[in-house]
Amino acid sequence: MAGDQGSAQPAAGMQVSWIAYAAILIVGFLSLFSLYMGFINYGDNTDIAIIFIFLGAAGFAAIGYMLFRGKPVATAKDDTLTIKKVEVYTTLECPKCQQKRVRDFKRGDYVFKDDEPCTRCDGLMVITKIARKKEEEDKKKKEESSWL
Amino acid sequence: MVLIFGQVLQAQESDLSMILQTLYSFAFIAYLFYAQKIQTLQMLRQIEVTLRKVKTLKEEARERTVKTLIEIGKPTGDIGPRVDRFIDFFSIGLENMDPAGIVDKMDHFLKTNKRVYEAEVKALAPNATPTERNNLENLIEVSQALNIYYKVMRHYYLLGKKTMNIYVIMQVHMILPMLLQMVEAYSAGIQAFEHGMPIGDGVGPIVAAKLMHGYPQSDVAEEIVAAEVPYEGRTLIVFKAKGPGGSVGNPDEGLINILKERKGKVKMIITVDAAGKLEGEPVGQVSEGIGAAIGGTGKEKFKMEEITNKYKIPMHAIAIKQGMEHVVAPLVEPLFDATDKAVESVKRIVMDYTEPGDVVVVAGIGNTIGVGQ
Repeated sequence: MAGDQGSAQPAAGMQVSWIAYAAILIVGFLSLFSLYMGFINYGDNTDIAIIFIFLGAAGFAAIGYMLFRGKPVATAKDDTLTIKKVEVYTTLECPKCQQKRVRDFKRGDYVFKDDEPCTRCDGLMVITKIARKKEEEDKKKKEESSWL
Repeated sequence: MVLIFGQVLQAQESDLSMILQTLYSFAFIAYLFYAQKIQTLQMLRQIEVTLRKVKTLKEEARERTVKTLIEIGKPTGDIGPRVDRFIDFFSIGLENMDPAGIVDKMDHFLKTNKRVYEAEVKALAPNATPTERNNLENLIEVSQALNIYYKVMRHYYLLGKKTMNIYVIMQVHMILPMLLQMVEAYSAGIQAFEHGMPIGDGVGPIVAAKLMHGYPQSDVAEEIVAAEVPYEGRTLIVFKAKGPGGSVGNPDEGLINILKERKGKVKMIITVDAAGKLEGEPVGQVSEGIGAAIGGTGKEKFKMEEITNKYKIPMHAIAIKQGMEHVVAPLVEPLFDATDKAVESVKRIVMDYTEPGDVVVVAGIGNTIGVGQ
């Protein structure tokens, strides 16, 4: 059962719980042992050896299933249970002296708003850009798919 | 240790063999009869977990909607019940058994819908400015969408649980990743609509705003603003939804009014809009084509196509590609940067297909939240 939650979302940052890892380790060890017993008994006790080999193979199949089955869409321990808040910044430019300033977005900002007096000249700074700060995740995704 | 274990096994070979074979046979028989049941339970479990997530998201969206309405609109009394009632609001789709005249019916239907939203938001947020009211309308729409997703998913989950019918359950299970993607996309819009930030769908209006900024502007239709921009001997009539409030305006009416005023003497129309990207395509890719780049119900597209066909004006389209998760989420940098490329595309198309003295209409299609002009 550990696989139910434990094997969840290996693609999304390998979020496999330690219980699942422990279960995989134990099952893996037992399966390996079963296979070993199966091989050393093969010939002398072929019947029992076949059972051991079958158990070992089934164990590895179960591990494979736990690790490589399709990514579930959500998990009970999902850490994205709240609406993600992103950082947004506002870029202001002075049309007179080209002075540029970047600050955090605040309610009421909009693109092409005459916002605040320029600190260098007597002009009024205009909001020229509002965008979300780049996230690490985006960069990683880009790197992963760059060969495509 | 292994040898000792082996010897023990050999000594009790027959007993152990019998036990293992019995267990194996039992597991085989159980799996033979209950495999589908196990699969069904597993799918139900995944749907349940996803449903719980959707529920949390829609509840948070509702809380934040109420909080923003109170913060901006400063209403008197408890608005919670009214918000809940409005979140559950529905519109009945038009009957299309006899499709003749359905576009006008759709126009009327959409205007009624808009009026209801305006009235409700005005009642919920009496002190909000018109711009803020537009943003609040969008915010409520997101809460409504999340509520609908939750209710439909819950319906199929409970129906599946009640009937234990694998085919009912499988239908939801198969589209679960796409549903979750859509739910996450909508929930990403909450922050944008709360604060009035530009969103991914706003790339069209940004392109139009970049072209028309600084030129005299006038209203050409409901919530549509236009400006005449001289460019290399040509005249560009650029229009977009009137910002910075969250609105898409009526671009079809805007185009019709402009063309009627010019008696159809327009060389070319260029529509710029956000478009869904295919997996593998980069965010912010600018593509060019022909036709009306506009989404929505189809009413606007139909009317734009009809009027351009009447005057036989070619329509060019510029699409700025983005994923579903970007459409209502705060604008990402590659999309904002793509608007500069789209402006260059507009200028290049104008230069390639028109002569000095020609008039070209440029339409920036999309939600203009957080974008002035």
